[in-house]
Amino acid sequence: MNPQTFAIIKISAGVLATIGLYSVLYKETKFYRFWEHLFLGLAAGYGVVAAWKDTLYTDWWVYTFGTAATPTAPATPGHWIWAALLPIGIMGYMVFSKKHNWMSKIPIGIILGLWSGQQVQIWWQTWGPQVYSSMQPIIPTTFSPMARPSTLEVANGQVQTIADSAQLANVQQQLANNLYPTQALTNLIFVVTFISAFSYFIFSFELKNKLMLGVNKLGRWMLMVGFGAIFGSTVMARFALVIDRMSFIVNEWVQTLTQRV
Amino acid sequence: MTFWDKMQKVDRRILYVILVVFVCTGLFIPVKIPVEPDPSSKDFYATVMAIPEGSTVLVQTDWTNSTRGESMGHFENLMRLLMSKKLKFVFYSAADPVAPQVARTVITRINAERKADGLYVYQIGKDYLDLGYFANAEATNTNMGTDLRQAWANRTSKVPEGGEIDIFKTDVLKDIRKIGDCKMMVVVTASASIDIAIQRLANKVPITAMVTGVTGPGVLPFYQSGQVKGIAIGLKGVYDTEYLMANGINIKDGEAKPKVTWAKNSSVDKVAEGKTFARGNQYYGTLHVALVLLILAVILGNVGMFMSRRAARKGGE
Amino acid sequence: MNNSIFLLAQNTENFWRKLPGQGLVIWVIIGLLLGIALLFAFTQVPSNLRRWIIVGFTFFAGLPYVLAYLWPKPIGADLQNDIPRNMSEQIGFTINQAIDPVGKITNVLQAFLLGVGIFSLVRVHLTKVRRKSENWGFSTVLLVCFALMTTVGFMDWRQRKFMDDNGLLNEPANWGFFQYANDLLFEGMYQQMDSAMFSMIAFFILSAAYRAFRIRSVEATVMMASALILMLNLMGALTYAWGTGIENLVVQTGNPFFMNFKLNVMADWLRSTMQIPAIRAIDFGVFLGALAMGLRLWLGLEKGGVSS
Repeated sequence: MNPQTFAIIKISAGVLATIGLYSVLYKETKFYRFWEHLFLGLAAGYGVVAAWKDTLYTDWWVYTFGTAATPTAPATPGHWIWAALLPIGIMGYMVFSKKHNWMSKIPIGIILGLWSGQQVQIWWQTWGPQVYSSMQPIIPTTFSPMARPSTLEVANGQVQTIADSAQLANVQQQLANNLYPTQALTNLIFVVTFISAFSYFIFSFELKNKLMLGVNKLGRWMLMVGFGAIFGSTVMARFALVIDRMSFIVNEWVQTLTQRV
Repeated sequence: MTFWDKMQKVDRRILYVILVVFVCTGLFIPVKIPVEPDPSSKDFYATVMAIPEGSTVLVQTDWTNSTRGESMGHFENLMRLLMSKKLKFVFYSAADPVAPQVARTVITRINAERKADGLYVYQIGKDYLDLGYFANAEATNTNMGTDLRQAWANRTSKVPEGGEIDIFKTDVLKDIRKIGDCKMMVVVTASASIDIAIQRLANKVPITAMVTGVTGPGVLPFYQSGQVKGIAIGLKGVYDTEYLMANGINIKDGEAKPKVTWAKNSSVDKVAEGKTFARGNQYYGTLHVALVLLILAVILGNVGMFMSRRAARKGGE
Repeated sequence: MNNSIFLLAQNTENFWRKLPGQGLVIWVIIGLLLGIALLFAFTQVPSNLRRWIIVGFTFFAGLPYVLAYLWPKPIGADLQNDIPRNMSEQIGFTINQAIDPVGKITNVLQAFLLGVGIFSLVRVHLTKVRRKSENWGFSTVLLVCFALMTTVGFMDWRQRKFMDDNGLLNEPANWGFFQYANDLLFEGMYQQMDSAMFSMIAFFILSAAYRAFRIRSVEATVMMASALILMLNLMGALTYAWGTGIENLVVQTGNPFFMNFKLNVMADWLRSTMQIPAIRAIDFGVFLGALAMGLRLWLGLEKGGVSS
């Protein structure tokens, strides 16, 4: 087939499929349901192919049977006991049996057991550095000046890094050796935010102490700051997807068609 | 019914049409917008650029076309960066069976782009390896950290000379005995697979990440604690990387002052070869338009609510 | 130790590892029969023992990881290359060797389990077609596409893997029917639909932002302010224009302190001082829950869990 003709067929099919799925934004119709089922069929089909070619073939079949010697590589041994994993994997399909569906929990139990055991193993690896980096100094070592000295200066009508290297090194030295009140305040806000937001999780029982109630309320507000960040970032992510789809139609499809013309 | 009441009840499909029109209009005006890259993006770029030429990097690619708008830009940038730095890489997925195929398509396209520009074309088995999909991320990452040679035992790869050989005999992995011998691990993801990788491998190999906007906020605490060396987040991260590839950090390039400045680092070169501004540049201007639309929608929605309430109160009086 | 099950992946032949052609197929059949025997044995297990079997599998799958963390190791030990000096170290090394096979087994089982969902989907739709239930035509579409994608995908893989030693099929000029069909179905359609499906959320977000994101409480206001600063900072053009204005102010006043009021500097301060600790607190809470849940699952204490 002419590659250019195939490119047009391929991209046009993609555009049609995109429009087919987008039609649900107007209303759920049979047109949409056709494309929805087509999508599910292709997804399930590719799932089977990918599970075999990218995992089961390499991690199970080749591992069980080994490989014969080739002109470029020596033979590798097979691990015969790995064949027993097939019946154990089949136990997962017993979920459809009324009598033996309990067996489907065995492979799931193995996967969950691994996950559970790892929770203990990874606890400190995950939280050690995070707890350490949350312990921030909050008492200033100097009050003169109140704010951090700047490494910038105004020269030739421009803001730039201090040009005199000795002066710059001196400022950097001061910054490294001192904790200024504005920095201490920033660190205090960090620590208070972390503790108050975390307390919202651990003090989930009824509180009567006014101080604890206040901390709890502050924690709720701080959580909202976090959720705001998540919302803003999510908006960017979702808009990026719709921009990409529109670009696929407006730029890629039209470009392919016009190149042909 | 007042004007504001009507505004409150506007058909959702009108909003959808407005979004499509705004986004399509934005796509017709791709401009190179000057930005101040995020510190996390600068760290990401500086970390990659500090890796010595010829070293091996692990690429865990856990995204599919469902997040193509962000992740494809990230992966394309990563490939351009690694290839321009002449770094070898191994890619695999621990999150989605479709992910390796999507990555293969991108690598083929970037190779075609390099071929057209007269640059070196990366070859499987010599410059990079494709290990496919590992079904259980927790087990895969733990095994890689425990013993990389055991974890990937019996795996073979095609080589340019023809046939297949053990991956640990290829140029890419022949000097790698444990995961720490790799200079960096990059996780390109749209899911929590980055958390799984950090929890199991951050103390064994320097990790950087290219994540979607949804995943990004959850990774920032790991960045602040130093468990992740740098992150490019979302579409802004895609554009930041392209901007850094084109301009470097603290590089004056004949101008009065550098386009990107950073007190933390003396200077980081821009990339030596290949394309820099690409998908990020194509989409970033449009993101502005879409975000303005969303902010306007929130403002209008709230103003509408207050005006309706005021009208209702006045009506009640 | 050479016969240990934990040394399955070492590059030496042993009881567990056989080279092809040395009766390996017979051994594989034995392995398969052992698995089948286990499966049939389980069908005869009385119901009061079933829970303990599941608890046992769960416990032993997690045990190497817990022990690997708790068992003392020599400082700076290289568990792949060092030789153990005493019994305690030998146990530590053996535990470490157990991690790889357990992880590999889990990988394989999870790949087998991927098929459960697909099997269920196909079963439901086959039933619909057989009974000619409502909308059975759509089920036919699904099944046809499933069969097409599976056949074409598998054939494409087979040709590339076993019949293309020199990588000729990497060039579209050398493609045959299966390569074209796979590319059309996978790249041309499935991938684009995957992208379209997820992008639709943007429309719903816009609609929800217009209708539901209301400033009715302190919490909502705080959340909106945080989101707004972040979104404004995402707009490079705005950040640049704002920053240029601030720089002009600094030039006029000669005071670099005003540089702190650049939009990206303020957003970065907000992110590193308030957003990061808040998200960390959320994660910390979630992770404590996961640890508790993990321990309960591992020890079979979770009611209604896998071992119920």
